[in-house]
Amino acid sequence: MATIDLSLTGPFPRSEALVAATRDLDRGRRKAEEVTDLYRAATSEVLALERKIGASSVTGGLLANQDLFRPFVETLQGVSIGPLTRWFETNSFYRQPIVEAVPQRRPGAWAKTLWLDLLHTAKLPPKVILPGPYTASGLVDNRTDMDRLDFAKVWSRLLADEIRELAGLGVKVVQFQEPLLVNSPPSMDEESWVLEAYAPLAPALTGLTSLVWTFYGDGAPVLPLLGKLPVHIVGIDLADTDPADLREFARGKGLGLGCLDSRTSLPEDPREIARLVRELEGRLSPASIHLGAGAPLDLVPVGPAQKKLHVLPEAVAILEHAKNPPSKHGASA
Amino acid sequence: MTETQLFPTQEIGSLMKPRWLLQGLKGEPLNQAARADLAAWWQRTNFVPEHDPHLKKLLKGESAEVGTAAVRDLGALFLLRFLEASGLDIVYDGEARRVEMYEYPIRQMGGFDFLGHVRSFENKYYLKAASTGEVELKAPYHLDEFDFVRVHAVRPVKIPVTGAYTLADWSWNEHFLKKQAGWRGRKARRAAQRELIVELARKALRPTLKALIDHGADNIQIDEPAAGTHPDEAELVVESFNEAVEGLDAKFSMHICFSNYRTLYPAFLEMKKCSQFLWEFANRDTDHKDGYEVLELFAEFNDRREIGLGVTDIHRDIIETPELIRDRILRAARILGDPRRVYVNPDCGLRTRSLDVAWAKLTAMTQGAAMARAQVGGGAA
Repeated sequence: MATIDLSLTGPFPRSEALVAATRDLDRGRRKAEEVTDLYRAATSEVLALERKIGASSVTGGLLANQDLFRPFVETLQGVSIGPLTRWFETNSFYRQPIVEAVPQRRPGAWAKTLWLDLLHTAKLPPKVILPGPYTASGLVDNRTDMDRLDFAKVWSRLLADEIRELAGLGVKVVQFQEPLLVNSPPSMDEESWVLEAYAPLAPALTGLTSLVWTFYGDGAPVLPLLGKLPVHIVGIDLADTDPADLREFARGKGLGLGCLDSRTSLPEDPREIARLVRELEGRLSPASIHLGAGAPLDLVPVGPAQKKLHVLPEAVAILEHAKNPPSKHGASA
Repeated sequence: MTETQLFPTQEIGSLMKPRWLLQGLKGEPLNQAARADLAAWWQRTNFVPEHDPHLKKLLKGESAEVGTAAVRDLGALFLLRFLEASGLDIVYDGEARRVEMYEYPIRQMGGFDFLGHVRSFENKYYLKAASTGEVELKAPYHLDEFDFVRVHAVRPVKIPVTGAYTLADWSWNEHFLKKQAGWRGRKARRAAQRELIVELARKALRPTLKALIDHGADNIQIDEPAAGTHPDEAELVVESFNEAVEGLDAKFSMHICFSNYRTLYPAFLEMKKCSQFLWEFANRDTDHKDGYEVLELFAEFNDRREIGLGVTDIHRDIIETPELIRDRILRAARILGDPRRVYVNPDCGLRTRSLDVAWAKLTAMTQGAAMARAQVGGGAA
């Protein structure tokens, strides 16, 4: 039987108070320090929520992140911030990083933005979320002489250095966001370069739990490739993947199931999630199962997002109940 | 310059509301900055006569004495004159009366509940609703604002109206999705979305467009910023447009921005009543990019529609030079092979820019259009 856990798999929405504060910041009505304090308070609230739902790791909700790339790329030399660009099939936008030279990291710069001091207060393994090399190499505006593979390898080496530094600061879980792997997947010929691009990461992941999380596309065609990546868990977005199409899975890997859909405000049915988990567990025999949102929940307001998150422990409870039904005479003692 | 001459310049969307308008709408006394702002813009645009009693009171900061309705009218009149004074040939009121393009129309309908704010980018958000019942239009909307503009505009008017596809795409679809049994994956979402889109087009958009036409609107821009969001839903955009304009007669155009326009063809050829597409191009020729090649779509598909060419970046304060604007216009005209099919506008509404920046961008744009006109001989369209 596979173990089952759950976690936040992307940024969480800002609260209405934070929405108002950040708007005020832009309009010059609040000071940056004041808004930073609000961010930190809101991060503590998300950490409490993560604890409450029984998450296996904590993120704090990444509330201050402006998009997948920021603030990470803002800490790099050789990369500037470009024009607004549509974020996949959503009504939201990111600023496309412009790579003008081989990116160089500034040790310590990104770690400062993560508020690890807060994350450690949750007494659960801290998780950091980063743009994976396939997605990063496909979404940046690369104006250097590097081809895409060269850039992806440089990116992986950068991430590896960051991860080593963060591991020293107590980070235990690392997740790479790879929407492009399913939204614009590599051809069969390109699969080897994806593995080559990921290779520099492998040594840095020793001793950590690592995930590749995909969303905004059908995970079924790339599931065999995902199984070859040097991470423990690979996640797919069930909002865009027909569970019936998932046939085979790599032995020994954990399967991430993005079973919360940020494209609808309706909370999911925990019984339906439990049914899917049982079906996929039976068919794919993953080493472990990890439940989360497919695409990040920050595209849903905070109220519906909280309701959705609470569905996950309900689904887990249903599954555990089925595996360990209370005995006829037990429980009342 | 008029619309009958080459390269007409046109409004496309909302402008930033001046602080005197925002404070005045709250009935607050105008602070010194707001009063100074009002005085400065009055000097530039003379949007009401100097002896106007409301202007006099507002310049003294007495907004409560003026009253919300009159302040709102003054705001609309100011932004209308702002656009006219910047030299645009086709104008509106900078959407001075609207909260924004999604929330306002949705509030005119039953069958929706607002759930909270969702981020568009950085610290920009919009309030997002869920469809929770059948769409019920309370009454056609935008009529009062249109009547006001029609009465006061010196230049030809084009009214922007948010399209049904975008209203649906920017809402959550609880009502129709609940009817889908089993796991609600992409197929279920798509089927539910089509139902919502068609309902919105028939029950909300069409009656509103008809009422606007009855009030004299003859140039209507359907705003569909969401149209390029889902590359496999171009047919739904077309269906939504065709449902909305069925049986109606006006000049219809469609504004879409920041999208891969190639994904819209060939489906968009079936949008027979749409005579112009307004697309953004201001960032498509920078940094060695060649985004103008997308205009070749028109030739590839023998599409004789007009283009509303976005030549002004709405996300950055940098002011495009008139020469750059001229070159963009002429390039588009060359690709289309017919200068008469090129209209000129910003990429999208300039509401995220200050009025000073918007003014500088728009005046540069009108100067650039004049230079382009002069270069091709300035003939009538």
